[in-house]
Amino acid sequence: MTGTRRWNPSVVMALVAAAMLLVAGVLMAIYEERLYSAQQVKNIREQAQILAASVTAAIVFDDRRAAQEYVEALATNPELQAAGVYDGEAHLLAGFSRGGARLPSAAPGEGTVFGKGFMDVTLRASQNGAAVGTVMLRAVTEPVERRYARYGGLILLVTMGALVIAVLSFSQNALQRRAQQLSVVNSRLQEEMEERRKTEEALRQSHKMEAVGQLSGGIAHDFNNLIMIVKGNLRLLKRRLGPDAEQAGTYIASADEALDRAAHLTQRILAFSRRQPLTPQRVNLSTLAQGLSELIRHSVGEKVEIDMQLDAQGSILCDLNQMENVILNLAINARDAMPDGGTLTVATRDVTLNAPPPDVESENFAPGAYVALSVRDTGVGMPEDVRRRAVDPFFTTKPQGKGTGLGLSMTFGFVRQSNGYLTIDSAPGKGTTMTILMPRDGEAA
Amino acid sequence: MRSRLLAAVGCMIALAGPATAPAAAQGSLEYAVKAAYLTRFIPFISWPDDVFAGAGAPLTICVLGADVFDGRLEKAAASSKLADRAIAVRHLKGPDASASCQILFIGAGDKSLIDGTLDAMKGRPVVTVTDSGIASRGVISFVVASNRVRFDIDDALASHGGLIISSKLLGLARTVQQRGQQ
Repeated sequence: MTGTRRWNPSVVMALVAAAMLLVAGVLMAIYEERLYSAQQVKNIREQAQILAASVTAAIVFDDRRAAQEYVEALATNPELQAAGVYDGEAHLLAGFSRGGARLPSAAPGEGTVFGKGFMDVTLRASQNGAAVGTVMLRAVTEPVERRYARYGGLILLVTMGALVIAVLSFSQNALQRRAQQLSVVNSRLQEEMEERRKTEEALRQSHKMEAVGQLSGGIAHDFNNLIMIVKGNLRLLKRRLGPDAEQAGTYIASADEALDRAAHLTQRILAFSRRQPLTPQRVNLSTLAQGLSELIRHSVGEKVEIDMQLDAQGSILCDLNQMENVILNLAINARDAMPDGGTLTVATRDVTLNAPPPDVESENFAPGAYVALSVRDTGVGMPEDVRRRAVDPFFTTKPQGKGTGLGLSMTFGFVRQSNGYLTIDSAPGKGTTMTILMPRDGEAA
Repeated sequence: MRSRLLAAVGCMIALAGPATAPAAAQGSLEYAVKAAYLTRFIPFISWPDDVFAGAGAPLTICVLGADVFDGRLEKAAASSKLADRAIAVRHLKGPDASASCQILFIGAGDKSLIDGTLDAMKGRPVVTVTDSGIASRGVISFVVASNRVRFDIDDALASHGGLIISSKLLGLARTVQQRGQQ
């Protein structure tokens, strides 16, 4: 498949083998041919010798009948076309002929003579060294052209066989090539299908978050306004009652506190639904994390070791306070994953992304320079189904009343609102790494 | 030419009728054939080596009694090319044990003389050839049958004299008395 079409090795081998077979066949045919001729001459000579030796008495005593018997004993040999016995004066004494052959009336000279399609073997018949007569045998020989035609037929067959093999192996190779191409195409198709499945999954997740965010954001916004109205009215009520109404003041304070909590909750829902008001500014994440290190240490307690690896140089654009919240939130999550202690690593580094990170659909991804902030714990980790739902609002693995299920949702909403990405890498027993990827500020020094 | 002649002779014998008493004039062709036969037996018969005085010694054909061949035997002997040695012809008046014959032709004659001669030759390396028409039989006996001169062979008798007769010759004989059957 590399540009020029080359001869297939097995086809070449078949053709070479055919050529070698042909050469070997021709050589063998020539050898066989010679062997056959020599053998036939030898056979006929032997028969002539036997006849000459046995027929002498019949010649000497001029016994035609006995001579005829000897000669006719040879007629069983289908190779013999004619046989003759001649007396001392070369006159034909006895003989037979068939198939259109004619015996010479006088004895020919001793020797072997080849004719067209026959050969004559003539021998002296002698008794005790004295020549008494002559015998002659004529044997059919296959005409040369017919023999060569036979060999030609064989050669043709061999050539055809070799060609068939060549064609077969050629098409076999073509088939194999096609099968290989098909399997390559097939595996590519499988990959693409898998890719598509993942993308669809991510898209669905994203749409879900979008829908939930819009819904909850809308509710939270109105709810927040209602809380503000209730809060304002409580304040007016408190003023109207004056400082004497101590009992009522306690009720009002407790209601106010509940309202604060409700306001906080709606704030977080708004954060998740990316509808919180943000005031982006240039932030260096390394500096920010360094500044938070004391607070983090304080939050996670004695049992957790903290490791800061702050390598990022680039700056990003984001809401400083929210980013601080997010980092603290992630640190506290990490702490909760390590009830028996462990190591919390906060790392920042500059990265360049050419492909969307895991769980981020490609349509929402812009390649370029990013600053990554990751919070890694050595805790219990999450199974895949939990990991996938970790940012769903109100999804929590903590006991009832302990978590709101909004922490990571909020983080996710904030990061997306700031054009960044949140990725979660986790496996049971292997700990969890939360990474925030924020696009680097173009004018960053 | 001789073969032709022989064939012709064979036919003429047939026309001449059964050859009973070989009169010189009537049976002259028959005896020409027999004379030729006598010389032609030679290459098909092996005598013991000590029969001949030496390598160049001639082979002797003896004829007992009247010369029925009328000189034809000498002629045949002289012209024969079949034997590997010269052929001598001797005429004997009576049985002569001292005469060294390799072939002894016994023609018609006194029965006691014939039988006596055959007895005397028994066990000796001599091929006794008896003419047709006599009751007693030698190693080879001429027979005129089917208008042809033919012969019977007593191979058993030949073996007593240490003679070996070629199977080719036996094959041509009208009847053969096999060896070891007597």
